[in-house]
Amino acid sequence: MRINWKKYRMRLAAACLAGMTVCMAAACANLGNKDHNLIVSEEENEKVVNFFSPMEKTNPDAENIARSASDQTVCMAEEKLGIKVAYRTYTAESYQEKSYDEVTLERVRNNLDDFYLLNPNTIQILGEEGRLLDLSGLSSAKNLREVVKTANTVDGKLVAVPQEVVAYGLFINVDLFEKYDLELPETPKDLLKCCKVFQENGIDTPIGANRWWLENFVFAQAYADLYNGGNTEAEIEALNLGTSKYSDYMRPGFEFLKELIDRGYIDAQKAYVSEAIDGEGPDFLAQKTPIVMAYWGAANAETAYGKPDFELKVIGFPSSRGQMPVVSMTGYAVGVDAEHLKDAKDTLDVMLSDEALKTYTEINKVISPSKNVEVECIPALKPLNDKIKENVYVLGSNAGMKVEQWGNTCQIVRNLLNGATVDQCMAEFDRLQQESLSE
Amino acid sequence: MKKGRTRNKKDSGFSLLISIILVFCILGSVVFSVARKISIEMSASAIQSLSESLDLIKCTIEAILKNEAEFQKLIAHETAKQEDMGEYIRSFQKNQTMVKISLIESGEQQGISNTGGVFSEEELDFSLGKTVEGLAISQSYINHMGTWAYTMKCPVVKNHKEIAALYIEYVYDALDQSLPDGFYNKQAMLYIMDAKSQRLVLKPKGMGERNAGHLNLKDFYRANDIKDQELQREVTKCLKSGKNVTFYHDIREKHSLNYIWSVNDGTVFLIGYVPVEAVQQEGRYVNQNILIVVIVMLVAFFLCCLLYYFNHRQQIKLRKEREAEREIYNKQLSDALQAAQIASNSKTMFLSNMSHDIRTPMNAVLGFTTLLDKDAENPAKVRQYTRKITASGQHLLSLINDILDVSKIESGKVVLNVEPFTLNDLVSSVDAIIRSMANDRAQSFHVEVSGIQHEELLGDETRINQILINLLSNAVKYTQEGGNIWFRIQGLKQRSEQYEHIRIEVEDDGYGMTPEYLETIFDAFTRAENSTTNKVQGTGLGMAITKNIVELMGGTIDVSSQLGEGSLFRVELELRISENRADRQFWEKHEISRMLVVEDDEENCRNIEMLMKDTGVVTHAVKSLEQALAWLSESGRQECQLVLLDWNLSEAGGVFAAEKIRKVLPDTVPILLLSDHNGDEIEEAAEIKNVKILTRPFFVSALKEKILEIQAEADGQTAVLQENVYSLEGFHFLAAEDNEINAEILSEILEMEGASCEIAENGKIVLERFEHAPEGEFDAILMDVQMPVMNGYEATRAIRALQRADAVKIPIIAMTANAFAEDEKEALDAGMDVHMPKPIDIELLKKVLNQCVTRKEQDIEDQLEKI
Repeated sequence: MRINWKKYRMRLAAACLAGMTVCMAAACANLGNKDHNLIVSEEENEKVVNFFSPMEKTNPDAENIARSASDQTVCMAEEKLGIKVAYRTYTAESYQEKSYDEVTLERVRNNLDDFYLLNPNTIQILGEEGRLLDLSGLSSAKNLREVVKTANTVDGKLVAVPQEVVAYGLFINVDLFEKYDLELPETPKDLLKCCKVFQENGIDTPIGANRWWLENFVFAQAYADLYNGGNTEAEIEALNLGTSKYSDYMRPGFEFLKELIDRGYIDAQKAYVSEAIDGEGPDFLAQKTPIVMAYWGAANAETAYGKPDFELKVIGFPSSRGQMPVVSMTGYAVGVDAEHLKDAKDTLDVMLSDEALKTYTEINKVISPSKNVEVECIPALKPLNDKIKENVYVLGSNAGMKVEQWGNTCQIVRNLLNGATVDQCMAEFDRLQQESLSE
Repeated sequence: MKKGRTRNKKDSGFSLLISIILVFCILGSVVFSVARKISIEMSASAIQSLSESLDLIKCTIEAILKNEAEFQKLIAHETAKQEDMGEYIRSFQKNQTMVKISLIESGEQQGISNTGGVFSEEELDFSLGKTVEGLAISQSYINHMGTWAYTMKCPVVKNHKEIAALYIEYVYDALDQSLPDGFYNKQAMLYIMDAKSQRLVLKPKGMGERNAGHLNLKDFYRANDIKDQELQREVTKCLKSGKNVTFYHDIREKHSLNYIWSVNDGTVFLIGYVPVEAVQQEGRYVNQNILIVVIVMLVAFFLCCLLYYFNHRQQIKLRKEREAEREIYNKQLSDALQAAQIASNSKTMFLSNMSHDIRTPMNAVLGFTTLLDKDAENPAKVRQYTRKITASGQHLLSLINDILDVSKIESGKVVLNVEPFTLNDLVSSVDAIIRSMANDRAQSFHVEVSGIQHEELLGDETRINQILINLLSNAVKYTQEGGNIWFRIQGLKQRSEQYEHIRIEVEDDGYGMTPEYLETIFDAFTRAENSTTNKVQGTGLGMAITKNIVELMGGTIDVSSQLGEGSLFRVELELRISENRADRQFWEKHEISRMLVVEDDEENCRNIEMLMKDTGVVTHAVKSLEQALAWLSESGRQECQLVLLDWNLSEAGGVFAAEKIRKVLPDTVPILLLSDHNGDEIEEAAEIKNVKILTRPFFVSALKEKILEIQAEADGQTAVLQENVYSLEGFHFLAAEDNEINAEILSEILEMEGASCEIAENGKIVLERFEHAPEGEFDAILMDVQMPVMNGYEATRAIRALQRADAVKIPIIAMTANAFAEDEKEALDAGMDVHMPKPIDIELLKKVLNQCVTRKEQDIEDQLEKI
C-alpha cells in the first residue's frame, strides 16, 4: 500500500496547528490567585557551617586549581549532608598587618567559626590550648597514614586532618644548571658552590625567597638526622624534656641561611616583605632566578610553576643526608565549642573521606594523607617523590614537639632576615624551649 | 505580449518584495524604538531601584550605628553615676555587638577594658573625624577576636565635666546579621569598606575567588578589571566628599551596575556591584516576552509567507499539471476527433460506396425485372434476365455478408470451423474462381505449389478460402488488363511435426499502393481510391476481414507494394496435419506401387516425390522423354503402373510424348499429362486411351480423383450428379411469414419445386394451426423469427411444448434475416432444427429439408422397428 505522504504531512501540520492553538488558548486563560497569601513558600532554614580559611570558595571557572579541588570536596559534603558551607576569610594586606595565623588564633579562641583550615603552628598552639576537637572519632581518620597522625596529634588527640601532605622542595631550572654545567645540589656545600657559579655568571641572587618558606632550609639541615637516624622518638622526647636543645639542631641551618644571605645568594630585605610566590615567582619563570622553594602542588599544571618555559625539577633541600624534602601539613580543625559542631564534624568526615581525597589528589596531583589513595606524579616532581617514597624527609611541623616548629621557626627566620644574628635566633629558640618546659 | 506580461509579473513581485521589506523596516524600527525606550526607562528604573535598596541598607546601618551611639551614651551616663567606674566597666560581658568596653579617665593615657588588660587610645585612629550622634568613630581594624571592628568614643560627663572617655568596640559581623542575606536574588555583591584605609571590612559570606577583590578598593578595581583612571579619580573624589557613586561596568562579562554608597556621611561605604539583569529581572522578562512576541510574529509571518509560497507553488504546479493534462486531453480529443472524422469520413465514404455498390446491382435487379415484365413471353430473354438478376442478387448478398463478417469479427463472434481439407480442393476452388476472373481481364494467373509435405490438413477451409479469394480477387481487381497474378503456396520448415507451416503469396504487377494507404490497408472501411480504382467495386472490408481471420488462425499477414509496380501479400499459417492414413490402402487397392514421373523441372519432381512419399508409391523421375523411354524399355515396363508426364516436356507437345510412351506401355497403365490448365489439351488427350490431363499444381488427391475417373470409365459407370438427389416433390409445409412478398416468394418457390405451403402471419397462428392440424399434415414448419403477436422463438417453444407426439419431432427451420451466430444459437436453443438466413437459397433449402425430413423418417422407422 502506497502512503500518500503529502496528505499525511498536511494532516500532521493541521493537527500541530490545532494543538498549538489549544495550548495557546489554555495558556491565555486567567487562573487567578486562589490564595490570599502571595508568598508561595518560604525557604526552609538552611543548615549552615561556617568555615574560616585563607582561601575563598571559587566559581566553577576558578583559576586556582588547589581551591577548585578543595571546593569539590566541600561541594561533595554539601550534597551529601544537605548543608551549606559558608566561607569566611582573611587576607593580610601587608606584612605589617595581622597575619592569617594570628587572626586564626583569635577567631578560634573567640569561637567565631565552626571549622578552620590551620597552619601547623596554629594547630599545635590551639591543640595545646585545648581549643580543637579530637577528630580521631571520624571514620575517615582510620585511613590516615601514621606520619599524618603523628604530625597532628597533640596530647593524644588528633586535632587536625590535612587533605594533602605538603612536601616542600627546591624548584630548579635545570636548563640553567646545565648551561653552567652544574650538578643538582645534594649538600649545603653543593648549593653554595652552585650559587657561586651563578653569581659569577651574572645572576646576582640565585635563590628567590619569600618570608614564609626559607625555614625549610633550616628544617632540612636541623632534622635530617633526627627523622632519618632511627632514633626519632627518643630525640624528640629529649627535646621535650629539655635534655637536648632545639638551638643545637637549628644552628647549622641558620648559619647556612646566614651565609646565603651574607653572600647575597638570597635578598633578605626583599624576602622579608615578599609573599609566597608573588615575590620570587615572576623572576623564576623569567629564568632570572635558577632556584626557588615552593610546595609540591606549585609544580603541577595550571598553578604557579606548572608551565615553565624550561625544564623544571623539584628536589629536596640540601642536607648532610643529601636532598631532603620538608613535609608539612595544613590541617582542617573543628573548634571545640563550635556553634554547629556536629555538622562541622560531618562535613569534615565527608571532605576527608577516601572518595573526597581521591578527587582532591587526582586533581592536584599531590600526596594524599590517606593510605588508600595513590596517584602518579608529574616527571618534575619525581626526585622529590622518590625521596618521600624512600621515607627520606623531615617534618616541618610536629605536634609532638612541645615547641611549635613551623610558625616559630618562620618567625625566627624572619628575624634573621631582619638583621638578627644567628646567636640571637638561637637564644630565641632556647627561650621558647624554656617556656615550653615551664608550662 | 508574453514578455510584457512576464515583466509585469516581475515588477509586481519586486514591488511586493520592496513592500515587505519596508513593512519589516517599519516594524523593526518600531520594535527597536520601543525596546530602546523600554531599555532607557528600565535603566533609570534599575538605578532608582538600586539606589532605593542601597539607601535602605544605608539607613539600616546608620540606624544601628545611631542605636549603638545612643546606647553608648546611656552607658556613659550610667558610668558617670558610678563611684567605681572601673569596676562598673569590668562588669560588662561582651556580646555579639559590643565585644569590648574600655574607659580612660580624663588626664590618663591608659585605661581599663572589660576584657582585662590595659587599654590605650593609641591603638585606635579617630583622625578621620567622623561621628555618630556626636560620638567619634574610629577607623576599622582587626580586633583581638580576629575580626573587623570599629570603636566609638563617648565622653563620660559628670556635673558638666568630662571625667572620662568611654570606648566601646563593635564588630562588623553584628552589622552583617542585620543586613539582607543577599539582595537582587542574591546576585548583588555587597562589601562594607572603611573610608580611610579603603579596606573591605565586611564581605559577603562564601563569596568569590581569591582574586575577587575582597582586600581593599584597589583589589576591588583589579579583580573587577576597573582600569578607567578617570573613573577611579571620580570615585576617589566622591569618597573624600562622602558622595555616592554608581556606574556601569562589566563584571565577569556581565553588564553590571557598580556602586560605592556613603554611609554615615562617609564613615564607611557600601561597595559592590549587581548585574543589570538581576535588577531588571522583570524588565528582562518583559523584553524576553516582547522578543518572543516579535519572534512569534516573525515566525508566523514567515510561516504565512512560506505557506503562501508553497501554496502558490502548488497552485502553479497544479496549473501546469492541469495545463499539461488539458493539453494531453486536447491532443487526445484532437486525435479522437481526427480519428472520428476519419472514421466518419470512412464510414461516409463506405456508406457512399455501399450506396453506390448496392444501388448498382439493385438497379440491375429492378431494371431486369422491368425488362422481365416486358419480355415475359420470351423464354430465352426471361432466362437471361433471371440469370442477371440472380447475379446481381448474389453480389448484393456478398456485400451484406461482408458487412456481417466485419460486424461478427469486430464483436469477436467468429468461431473457426476446423475440419479436414486438402490443399488440392482449396487450390482447385480458388483457381476455378480466380482464373475465370483473370481470364475475363486477360490476366495471366500463375499457381505455384512447392515444398508442401502434407496436403491433407485441418483448418477452416471456408475461411482460408475467404482469405485467398479476398487477396486474389483484389489482385485481379487492382491489376490492369493483361497483367500477371501469382498465387504461390510454399511449404516452410516445420516447427512441429504435427503442423504444416505454409506461406501463401499473392503477387501481382498491378497498380500497387501508396505507402500511406499501405498503413491503413487492413483498417475497416478503407479502400484504395484513385481515378483508377474508382472503377472497382467492393465494400472496402475485404482486407480487414482477411487480416482478422489470419490473426484468428494464429497466422501473420504482411504486404509490400510499390505504386505502379504491383503488390505482394504474404500470409503465413501453421495448420495441423490431418491424421488420415487411408492413402496406402487406396494405392494398394488400385495396385499402383511404382510411378514414372517425366518432368524436366527438378523442383516439380521434388514436389511430386515429396507429396508421394507417404503413399507408399515409388516414384522414378526422369527429365526427358528419351530417358523415360529408355527406363521403360529396360526395366520399368513391368514395374510401372502409372506415368506422370509433363505436357511441356517435348516441343512436339504432351500428346506426342504420351503416344510415344503408350507405344512402350500397355493400355492399362494410365498416363496423366501434367498441364497448367484444362483447355484444348483435354480433347487431344482424350484420343489416346487411358490418357488424362492432370492440372497443375500436382496434388495427390487430384491424382487419386483422376485414377478413380479412369477406373470408372473403364468400368463403364457414370457419375450421378448429387444435385439431382434432393427434391421437395409432395412436401407440405406450414410457413410463418409476416411479410406478404416474402410469403408469396416462398409459396411460389415451393410450388415450383412441387411442394405446397400454408402461410401464417405470426407465431401464434402457426401454433394454433399446428395444434389443430392432424398428425403428419405438415412435413416441416418454416419459421420466421421477427413477427408480430408471437415471434418465432416463442412459437417454437410453444410447439415443442405441445402434448402431441409429433410436437417434438416435426422439423422447424428458422428462416430469418437475423444472420448472426447468436441468432443461430438462439434459434437452436428455442428448439428449431436448422437456422437458414435469408435470402432463401433454394438449393440449400432443398438439401436441408430433405435431410431433416429424411432424418425424421429414419428416426420414425427406427422407432417402429424397435416396437
